[in-house]
Amino acid sequence: MTDRAATCAGCGCGCDDIEVAVGAEALEGVARTCSLGDAWFAERTADALPAARVDGREVDVEEAIDVSAAILREARLPLVCGLHQTDCESQRAAVGLAEAIGAVIDPGDGAAGSAAQAFGLSTATFGDVRDRAELVVAWRADPVASHPRLLPRLRFDRAGRAAGGRGPERMLIVVDADRTATVDEADVFIALPPELDFEALWAMRALVRDIAIDRDLATRLPLDALGELVARLRACPYGTVLYGSGLAAAADGYVNALALLALVRDLARTAHVVALPLREGNARGAEDVLAWQTGYPAAVSFACGHPRAQPGEFSAADVLERGEADAALIVGFGALDHLSPRAADYVRRIPTIVVSPRATETAVGARVAFGTAAAGIYREGTVHRMDGVPVPLQAPLTSSRPGDREVLAAIAARVAGEEGS
Amino acid sequence: MLRIAQGRVYDPANGIDGEVRDVCLDDGKVVEELPSDAPRLDARGMVVMPGGVDIHSHIAGPAVNAARKLAPEEHRADVLDRTAVMRSGTGGTVPSTFATGYRYALLGYTTVVDAATPPLAARHALAELRDTPIVDAAFLVLMGNNLTLFELIREAGPDGVGRVAEAVAWWLEATGGYGVKLVNPGGVEMWKRGNRNVTSLDDEVEGLGVTPRHVLSTIATAVDELGLPHPVHVHCNNLGVAGNWRTTLDTLDTLQGRRAHLAHLQFHAYGGTPGKRPRSRAPELAEHLDTHPEHSADVGQVMFGPATTMTADAPVSALLRDLTGGKWVNADVEAETGCGIVPFAYRERNYVHALQWGIGLELFLLSRDPWRVVLSTDHPNGASFLSYPRLIRLLMDREFRNEQIARANQKAIGRTVLRDDLEREYTLGDIAVVTRAGPARLLGLADKGHLGVGADADVTVYRDNEDREEMFATPRYVIKDGRLIVEDGELRAAPAGDLLRVAADYDEEIERTLEPLFEERYSVQLSNYPVREPWLLEPARRVSARRGGSEP
Repeated sequence: MTDRAATCAGCGCGCDDIEVAVGAEALEGVARTCSLGDAWFAERTADALPAARVDGREVDVEEAIDVSAAILREARLPLVCGLHQTDCESQRAAVGLAEAIGAVIDPGDGAAGSAAQAFGLSTATFGDVRDRAELVVAWRADPVASHPRLLPRLRFDRAGRAAGGRGPERMLIVVDADRTATVDEADVFIALPPELDFEALWAMRALVRDIAIDRDLATRLPLDALGELVARLRACPYGTVLYGSGLAAAADGYVNALALLALVRDLARTAHVVALPLREGNARGAEDVLAWQTGYPAAVSFACGHPRAQPGEFSAADVLERGEADAALIVGFGALDHLSPRAADYVRRIPTIVVSPRATETAVGARVAFGTAAAGIYREGTVHRMDGVPVPLQAPLTSSRPGDREVLAAIAARVAGEEGS
Repeated sequence: MLRIAQGRVYDPANGIDGEVRDVCLDDGKVVEELPSDAPRLDARGMVVMPGGVDIHSHIAGPAVNAARKLAPEEHRADVLDRTAVMRSGTGGTVPSTFATGYRYALLGYTTVVDAATPPLAARHALAELRDTPIVDAAFLVLMGNNLTLFELIREAGPDGVGRVAEAVAWWLEATGGYGVKLVNPGGVEMWKRGNRNVTSLDDEVEGLGVTPRHVLSTIATAVDELGLPHPVHVHCNNLGVAGNWRTTLDTLDTLQGRRAHLAHLQFHAYGGTPGKRPRSRAPELAEHLDTHPEHSADVGQVMFGPATTMTADAPVSALLRDLTGGKWVNADVEAETGCGIVPFAYRERNYVHALQWGIGLELFLLSRDPWRVVLSTDHPNGASFLSYPRLIRLLMDREFRNEQIARANQKAIGRTVLRDDLEREYTLGDIAVVTRAGPARLLGLADKGHLGVGADADVTVYRDNEDREEMFATPRYVIKDGRLIVEDGELRAAPAGDLLRVAADYDEEIERTLEPLFEERYSVQLSNYPVREPWLLEPARRVSARRGGSEP
């Protein structure tokens, strides 16, 4: 048994200090992971999935490639979605394939990204937050549950703040509807009903600009607590706002994200304040790869032979809910578990190709399902952490099955008319 | 094998100035002769130059990509369709990667240097360069606000180099970089400490025991000691500030006797008092460069129209944010640098913009040695690289230039010497110097920028045309590595370009010094920091440093 270094690409923290014990072609143990990381390694090594299935029947990879290419060639409007749980190299291949088949491609967490596109944002990598921030505000974010090692890595959990040696003034404040696990690590909790994000953030913008607020109109807002929060943010030399997908999950998510970015920008005139959106897996990589190849971070259509982007029109969820796509290539994504019932229903009715190292319900119901060798375990690669820092994925184990990248490249080659080997 | 037959050849590095002759290419290189039945490209009546070399551009990495995300409206208005040889893409001031490679090639450029890569993001920059076809590309590594280097610089004392040279070489090797870039040394670190900056070379970077002058001096010495092919590439302190020409001169004085290249000199050539209207100090800086052969600059010409400002000099971006009130990105990169992005438009009626435009032209027209004052727009900061043909026309065509001068803000023009009707018109030979031979020489790329035997077979053939803008916008042929890539504005092939990276020897013991400093400052493991992945680094060509062998 030997110890090997590994990177966990489970949650978006990209922890690259993982140690795995490698026995005879299997992982014997994993160290330094959080509970999500344990699951990430386990799910990708547990079942020996068939390398390829067509209509539930095990087949040669080559045959599955043929069937996939035929489906995608025949489709009028194929959709490529998922992409958060694979490496940048596979994402590159996916964008290339989407272009070749004139597909709509969308990694699919649009609203927060669209706000950043419309407004810009001030942000930072983990190291600068860890070493410079005096104040971290978790707004509608519960990193203790969603990104368990984030606060320890930023030294903003209770233990990290106590041991930081930088004085007691470092502070964690949580703004959320309920007492989450992160609240247990925090110094201050500000309760805010979920529907009041925009009002609270906009009121804070007014407070930053010393504009008086009519308290009668804002009776549902915890104005005193928000005022104190604004004062702290203005006074601190380096402040950080973590925000989670909860902020932009609702229909009005776009304006919420816009309000948060606007607040950070207002604060940045006097204090050094940055925002860090919590992202999952390699969602940041998907956004980055799509942006460098097309100019757009999400919701891209290649139907006209060049990239066009329009969140809503070309968002994966919308294209499915409206019943527009007539085939779907789903990369590393439990679509049926994560999409709206209406979209999931539609996915069940169209031919789907699933490329994933995990056993999911989506893969079981797929026309073609590839059980791939996972990046980060059997294949090397790159992921972008939620802060944009690229980290390498190692391959502590070997597998003769193809990885996501190889499957996507083979389908692209077959679509282009190249014969199989 | 290809003979480019009977064109008028401009190859200033080899003293050829418009001679009608053949250029023979074989196996990716320029060769002496070819058999008489070798394939020919008839270039009679045409102008033949080496492929263009861009010494200072921003084409890959997290800052460029953040700027792409900000500009959906530009992309929508400017699209590239997928073809048999081309991936699709989008343009605007910050094009997608594929579009960037194609458009540089369509312009006759075959080598491009990205001037600002944060080392922590090297993998990202390399991945984008892999998706930037045709051009050979190199990148400069940001080192002017690196906390680990600051510590080694402080230890080295005011006159020594200590372990800085080894660390610099380690960083270049770890990232796949080509050269060293300093951006507002010390100032970006101060920005991350409560939105502050440095304003003089002797301001201390708070609590760190170094000053901008100390950083400049030590790293310039280290680069010379390592014998890197390209000198230290400096974006001076106080960019854009009225009166900053004094800082620029102070920087050059500090670096006297050591090689140095100043980036986008135009942005650093302002007289006047901070906070007030700037005026031009281009003549003084041009004069200084003339008398200091160890120093060089690219101009960073501003062109009227849309641009995207994109810089590691984050405090400057905050000022631009307050000017435009528009989109703004700030991105702090731990222990190394910062980043700021603001979409921008230069308008000819605006005093400051017209002054910037005028200062750029002054620098071109007043400098006596075009080999050391070369062409750039600091793409996409001053303008897109697509505006080079128009800039070339401004330099070559006095009548056109005077028409344009008459359209610009006259108060600003009055603060320059442009009204004196500067007679100089660049010749085709001069253009070949400032767009290929000069940049290649300053970069130390011995196989680029010329057509002597052994040079890379990168050649651009233009139809001679009195309208120089039209001529340089649409080359008749572009040949890369001996292969015909562009014909009359159409892309015929789009092979991958090479990564150009430096090979500099260093003492591997430096890792032991870096290890504890690393653990303190970074959020990645030291073992994962150096890029080793072949799919990111290859195909590459190494250019060797000559330790102890460099001369100013």
